[in-house]
Amino acid sequence: MVTFVVRRLAFMMLILVSVSFLTFLIVNVLPGDVANTILGDFATPDQVEALRQRLGLNQPVLYRYVEWAAGMVHGDFGISLKTNQPIGPTLWGRLKNSLILASLGLAVAIPIGIGLGVVAAVYKGSFLDRAITTTVVIIFALPEYVIGLALILIFSIRWNLLPASSLVLPGQSVFSNPLTLVLPIAVVALGMLAYFCQVTRASMIATLNSGYVRTAVLKGLHKRSVVVKHALRNAMIPTLAEIGLSFGYSLGGLVVIETVFSYPGIGQFLVQAIQNRDIPALQAAVIVVAAAYSIGNLIADVGSLALNPKLRV
Amino acid sequence: MTGASTHNLRVENLSIAYGTGERALHAVRDVSFSIAKGEAYGLIGESGSGKTSVAYALLKYLRGGTIRTGAIDIAGNDILAMSPSALRDFRGNRAAMVYQDPMSSLNPSIVVGEQIAEALRRHRGLDERAAWQRSVELLALVHLPAPDALAKRYPHQLSGGQQQRVVIALAIACEPDLLILDEPTTGLDVTTQAVVLDLIQELRHRVRSSILFISHNLGVVAQTCDRIGVLYAGELVEEGLCATVVSQPSHPYTAGLLRSMPRAADRAFELKPIPGSLPDLTRPPPGCIFAKRCEVAGAECTERRPGARRLSDTHVTRCFFPERVPELRDAGDKTVAPAVAAVAGPGAQPVLEMDALSLSFRQHVGLPFFGTVRETRALDDVSLSVPRGRTLAVVGESGSGKSTLARTVVGLLAAERGVVRFEGTALASQAAQRELDLRRRIQMIFQNPDGALNPQLRVGDIVARPLRLYGRAKAAEIPARVVELLEKVRLGARYASRFPHELSGGEKQRVNIARVLAADPEIIVCDEPTSALDISVQASVLNQLRELQAAAGLTYLFISHDLAVVRYISDTVAVMYLGRVVETGPTETIFHGPHHPYTESLLAALPEIDKPRRPVAAVPPLPDWGGKGCLFAPRCPRRIDGLCERVAPPLADTGDGRLMACHVPLSGLAAAQAAIPATEPA
Repeated sequence: MVTFVVRRLAFMMLILVSVSFLTFLIVNVLPGDVANTILGDFATPDQVEALRQRLGLNQPVLYRYVEWAAGMVHGDFGISLKTNQPIGPTLWGRLKNSLILASLGLAVAIPIGIGLGVVAAVYKGSFLDRAITTTVVIIFALPEYVIGLALILIFSIRWNLLPASSLVLPGQSVFSNPLTLVLPIAVVALGMLAYFCQVTRASMIATLNSGYVRTAVLKGLHKRSVVVKHALRNAMIPTLAEIGLSFGYSLGGLVVIETVFSYPGIGQFLVQAIQNRDIPALQAAVIVVAAAYSIGNLIADVGSLALNPKLRV
Repeated sequence: MTGASTHNLRVENLSIAYGTGERALHAVRDVSFSIAKGEAYGLIGESGSGKTSVAYALLKYLRGGTIRTGAIDIAGNDILAMSPSALRDFRGNRAAMVYQDPMSSLNPSIVVGEQIAEALRRHRGLDERAAWQRSVELLALVHLPAPDALAKRYPHQLSGGQQQRVVIALAIACEPDLLILDEPTTGLDVTTQAVVLDLIQELRHRVRSSILFISHNLGVVAQTCDRIGVLYAGELVEEGLCATVVSQPSHPYTAGLLRSMPRAADRAFELKPIPGSLPDLTRPPPGCIFAKRCEVAGAECTERRPGARRLSDTHVTRCFFPERVPELRDAGDKTVAPAVAAVAGPGAQPVLEMDALSLSFRQHVGLPFFGTVRETRALDDVSLSVPRGRTLAVVGESGSGKSTLARTVVGLLAAERGVVRFEGTALASQAAQRELDLRRRIQMIFQNPDGALNPQLRVGDIVARPLRLYGRAKAAEIPARVVELLEKVRLGARYASRFPHELSGGEKQRVNIARVLAADPEIIVCDEPTSALDISVQASVLNQLRELQAAAGLTYLFISHDLAVVRYISDTVAVMYLGRVVETGPTETIFHGPHHPYTESLLAALPEIDKPRRPVAAVPPLPDWGGKGCLFAPRCPRRIDGLCERVAPPLADTGDGRLMACHVPLSGLAAAQAAIPATEPA
């Protein structure tokens, strides 16, 4: 178990180094001068040269990367080109907000998604199964912004029940007005639960057809015991791995959802960094998202390890 | 129903179908039998016989199937009329089952003790502690070592034999009226099978359950059961006392089955396969179900269905002409070439030599750069040779390295040390480095006929590929050659346009043989070519291989776990244990004995219909077994303490034409083995 976690952490480091290097290369080496791009078409050569100096663009790429990476390791994420403020504190605040949104979404999606998946699998082929499966496929097929806009249309504009925007004043917590969280969480949760439901249903059906579930049934156990104790536990092993992967995926989805609801998370931060051509901010955000993705996977793998005695050596 | 007092199980006119309407498959039709209290009843059938459907119907657990007609009574309970909740109280309690594959029958994420304990809590109302204690007792009852500790282990931490004992302990936990054993030893090694069969025998006398023993293996059933029922294509065609059915079969199918079974004790026994194949059970014929394949059928056989005909109090057959069956029983297959001379002449040049082959599999465990490497010796200094036109059989249990040897010879695996020689020339260790023509001359037939055929290609294309690859025929001649090859393996030209999934297991293996023959090889490496096939199909494939050998002078390296098959097909035998050859020599000498102690235990464990199986000798464990010395020493009943566990015996000439690796001299083995009945029938 410890071996496994250590090994996975080592791989994670490797992944982060690769991701950071690639991002760095992409923004620094691609055609077009960064300083030119930032200053626009009407900048004088002097201005461009001054900015190049300030950004250190005259140094070799590898040197700049090492310098930047060393800063990252020490928690120095660089200075924003837009605000001239250190990126770190803003980024952490945004990451915290995004994690709140993602975890609350997960907290809603996991029980409902798995529950629906189990019900659909146990009553496979019934009307209930078809109803669940169809709904879930429709939700899954709709892009997040469509779901988001549809919910805003219904709950904010037509019925005026919930706020359409999650705009938070600087310095305020996202919990200062909990009602603003409801719609973004709903969108995050809907997408994830549709996915969890499908994954759970498939792996439950496989498990329910297994030899040991047959043994459990022919042991005379009650249906609840067969489904929960014998089938669900084993079906959760692949499902958990999927949930870990989807955690990373949902971080990608957050970019869209946060933009739709003006939610101050890391997704919105990313979009703003791109719009502002704020390259240090963009690089920092990409690394943080990559790290969050890897950690999500790690947690899920450790979880399925805990469920699977075969791997628990 | 009446008479529940003398019988624990009564099945009357049971019919089971899968699907509905026109396409319904009538898997079981009008089957009736009963099992008395304490009796063991064997239900024999090949694939498609419906034997497993019958077993699951008894617990009213037919996934996708429906019971069309019939009644099932277990100890006075009408199973088919039970409510779901009554059924739950009944299953695992009054009737329990042991399954074919123990690994998949146990929940991988629950410790085995709990898997038994939960049944006891459910049916016996025991509390946590009492149930756990009882499950440990049950594990001790099935002779599992250290049951206290074992109860806390997960299924994957146990061996296959131990897993099956856990499943048996679970089945007898509530002392059921009916114990159903569905192929309980299929997939286990022959010595493990012997241990499990001994356990079942022993438990028969301890628990008072009736036993329904379902198997495709007549030998296993003959040794375990009192009475036997023969199921063919969903109908019970014959029923009687074990000894009667085996010695005086009264249905042509039973006789055919017996004629298809190779016997380890009798090499001269000529196998005679049953011609034809199973009828289409979506439209069962109106007459006798076996008529189309029957060699003694008369006109009425195809017109009306024979009723149950009582030959004695216990012996029943569904045949119009039971008096014609004895002539079938005694007829061997005259079309097959007789077995070649048992001993190869001293001048015979080996065409294939394996010289000191060694190969280990390594698996890295633990941290990268830090962990250790676990090494498994698959081949350890293996030297064997085969003369042209002869068959060398390599026999052993799983883990003996016999399949590794086959793959090394064809170059799918590369030996780390040693060399394979063909006509005296050393071959490159990997197939890819061998010349095309050398690859052509050494071909391989694989164990799983299904996996060896590309499902996207038609049979004709599969057989044509080697012709093109090795340039064995001009483009224009290929279709004619394909037909010729298909006819050689007794498949007609009409098979050329079919896809593999349209064929039966036996037909698939014939296509594999045709594909191999297309290369016009000199040596064929056969890796368990019949182990996935039914007995009657196995017989025809074995006879086919013998015929081809006689006609074309082919040389076989035949890998098998089945000693009876080995005796039928081979001229020389090599017995392997954990990667080493422990004994090799002419087939007759090896089977005649005296045997190497490992060969002896394999032969003793072999379930045969005409000899009682010897109980497996329990061997006291070695106190300080360090893995040195003779690998078989820890299991060896003839072990010389102080020698065998320290010094590995060399493979030495015993003076009667074979090599053996044993410290005990031949005379000593002969004396020890004479003390128990010989394997040759009197």
